[in-house]
Amino acid sequence: MTFARTLTAAAALALLGVSFSAQAYDGDWKRGRVYYRSVCTSCHTSQSGHAFAPNEKTKAEWAAYLQADKHAKGKDTVKQYISKQYRASIKAQNKAAEKFADTPDQELFEDIKAFVTKGAKDGDSPAGCS
Amino acid sequence: MNRQLARWAFCAILVAGLPGVGVLGSAALADEAPPVKLNSTADHSKFKELQKKLESGPDVTRACLSCHTEAAKQVHRTKHWKWEFLNPQNNQKLGKQHVLNNFCISISQNYPFCTGCHVGYGWKDKNFDFTVEENVDCLACHDTTGNYKKPAGLAGHPAYKPIESPPGSGKILQPPDLTKIAQKVGKTTRDTCGSCHFYGGGGDGVKHGDLDSSMAAPDKELDVHMDATGLDFTCGTCHSTSSHDVPGSRYKPTAIDKHDAHIRGKVGQGNPATCQACHGNTPHKEHPRLNAHAEKIACQTCHVPTFARGGVATKMSWDWSTAGRKGPDGKHMTKKDAKGHVIYDTRKGDFVLGENVKPEYRWFNGDITYTLLGDKVEKSDIATPINRIAGSPADGRSMIWPMKIMRGVQPFDPVNKTLVMPHTAGNDDIGYWKNLEWEKAIADGMKNMDAPFSGKVDFIKTEMYWPITHMVAPKENAVACAECHTADSRLKGISGIYMPSHSNKGWLDLLGWLAAAATLAGVLVHGAIRIVMSRRK
Amino acid sequence: MSANRIYVFQRFERFWHWSQAALIITMLITGFEVHGTYKLFGFEKAVNIHTIAAWTLIGLWVFAIFWHLTTGEWKQYVPTLKKVDAMIKYYALGIFTNAAHPFRATRLSKHNPLQRLAYLFVMLCIGPLIWFTGWFYLFYDAWNAWGVDKYLSLEWVAFFHTVAAFLMLTFLIAHLYLTTAGHTPTSHIKAMITGWEEVE
Repeated sequence: MTFARTLTAAAALALLGVSFSAQAYDGDWKRGRVYYRSVCTSCHTSQSGHAFAPNEKTKAEWAAYLQADKHAKGKDTVKQYISKQYRASIKAQNKAAEKFADTPDQELFEDIKAFVTKGAKDGDSPAGCS
Repeated sequence: MNRQLARWAFCAILVAGLPGVGVLGSAALADEAPPVKLNSTADHSKFKELQKKLESGPDVTRACLSCHTEAAKQVHRTKHWKWEFLNPQNNQKLGKQHVLNNFCISISQNYPFCTGCHVGYGWKDKNFDFTVEENVDCLACHDTTGNYKKPAGLAGHPAYKPIESPPGSGKILQPPDLTKIAQKVGKTTRDTCGSCHFYGGGGDGVKHGDLDSSMAAPDKELDVHMDATGLDFTCGTCHSTSSHDVPGSRYKPTAIDKHDAHIRGKVGQGNPATCQACHGNTPHKEHPRLNAHAEKIACQTCHVPTFARGGVATKMSWDWSTAGRKGPDGKHMTKKDAKGHVIYDTRKGDFVLGENVKPEYRWFNGDITYTLLGDKVEKSDIATPINRIAGSPADGRSMIWPMKIMRGVQPFDPVNKTLVMPHTAGNDDIGYWKNLEWEKAIADGMKNMDAPFSGKVDFIKTEMYWPITHMVAPKENAVACAECHTADSRLKGISGIYMPSHSNKGWLDLLGWLAAAATLAGVLVHGAIRIVMSRRK
Repeated sequence: MSANRIYVFQRFERFWHWSQAALIITMLITGFEVHGTYKLFGFEKAVNIHTIAAWTLIGLWVFAIFWHLTTGEWKQYVPTLKKVDAMIKYYALGIFTNAAHPFRATRLSKHNPLQRLAYLFVMLCIGPLIWFTGWFYLFYDAWNAWGVDKYLSLEWVAFFHTVAAFLMLTFLIAHLYLTTAGHTPTSHIKAMITGWEEVE
């Protein structure tokens, strides 16, 4: 009985800790916008000829896409293109990558997520490519 | 006993360890990262005033004012609130309350639509009470989420329930979460200022030409200062504001600024939004010749080579006289150009749009005289100036400025010879956009202003000057010497300047070349005779 | 052979002459482009070349004036009307009939009277006009500071600069031709290159 109670308390505390750390960073959609446009959009435009606008997917679709973390139909990952290593590799030619060179991967990921969520088809301010 | 101890120990490890994972996780983030967004000493989400359900705009403002007690009083004194500006030079009463333009013409009887861009709530007719503090809209300028929207037609209120916006579009606008927005307020940004100033004239980029949505996060090519990946200036970096009064108004521009770069603490330094306020008057360290140019030429003339550069077109002309034509189906119609820009709208007439537009140039000393309601206008081939800019090469305070000159054809009263203010917007049986009857619409708009209207309607050519100052290009893209120093110069027709390669005296060249040619002919003949004579020998 | 040659142009003089010739021709070419007569280098580049050439010529003149004063060679340009009529007669008639050249160059008098007059005109009229206007042109940004902006207009400064340029061009054409009017068609040119003038 005591054990169960103690365990519950422990779990609650643990959860509190986890949720606290998750709350510590609130995605900055404006930073996300800059990275999305200057890195994602500009590369998609020049490499594949098609850039995705945030409003081409719904919030749920974006969430699923970012969760699955599959880029180029699973050939590589999305996170890889947000990583510090990737930014370091393109920062000579890409000013956004240079500007965010030292931003932690997780923060930048949250920034981009905030931007696409906000700009999604059913988001607060659907964003096309402009 | 031992078992119980072990159990406790196990639990203790769990208790200590599990949150430890969480803490570790956050510690890892914190170690890597510079602290997030510590540009404010206050996290508004922690304020209990903002932790209740805020139902309406004035609700939010009341909460704001409970701490920022003087803020509304400050706002009440500004152009942003009053939409009124008294030009101290000529005592003209300007501001959106009073002026006409050649876009949507005026706010008279269109209040609930136009005041979607007012920093207030509820300005739905001319009886709006400008003294009510809770009617100040804090969020219009201080929203950071980008989700605070004030649709046209609601007199400055955001939507409080889902509405169709624009009406008839089938698009449903959800009401913003005011509590959440209020908890995240911050300093003004390009996005907040831009939510109105990018859309002046009724749409993206329509009015200014150097301000449109591409400036929300521009690259360096579009604007060196606001470059989102570089200097990342906000509007307020230059229009540096205190007491909510934003300096740098187009109603009384600073055309020439002989001040040095501003220094903290020094008084009387003038408009902080000029180029010179930071760069001084001799910014070209390696090219003193360019400093000499800057004695007569505004910085913007060379450094803003073209406007509407960010992919958003701006309106260059608007002909209201062709409005009213319906489609074959008897309904309102629009025509689009190859790029998808609307170039004809039954409700509005013909438009000409421009991208990458080279400005026109004029001597300008900052004095502007508006043609206001009641001022006599004469119909002729020469366009009536909506705002007359003054300037000359000789007055010692003019510079050559780049201008967007908006050209229009708009309704006027041919009997009273005045411009008119029609009631255009609105879902009623008067507004022109719904009913397409000028007489009724103008009579209503004029009545609202207590201005006489004969009942007759004709159309008059007008033009309006918009000094260009944003979209400053990187120096490599500044206007090159030869774009002005050539026969077909950008500054063609500008009086009072001598430009090598452009302003030559034809007769001097003729005389000079004749003298050279005569000499050449003389020596050739002389030489030929010498050769012939020596051959004879 | 050696008896018929005299050493008229010293090393510095020849250097001065040819570098000045190159600079003046460069400035004529770029100057008329700046003036808008044609497009060659592009306006900006033409201005830059013109300015660099101008400063170089200023430097060269400082040396040349110093040289002329210290060596006394300035006396070569003291004008004289003596034999001017004979020179004119020679260029107008004698040169065609192979008459004897009326002037004999010596170390002390290397220019014929017409040359003296022409070069003096270049140095006292065209030169100062072009320098004076050129300086004001070059220092247009300082007019305010000098307090001369009330009295000068760029338009007229440019006007006289252009007048001087046309005079210089006219001089250049005549000068180029008259180099062939020595004792032999090439004797003047050779002298300007080697320093030695062949005389009869």
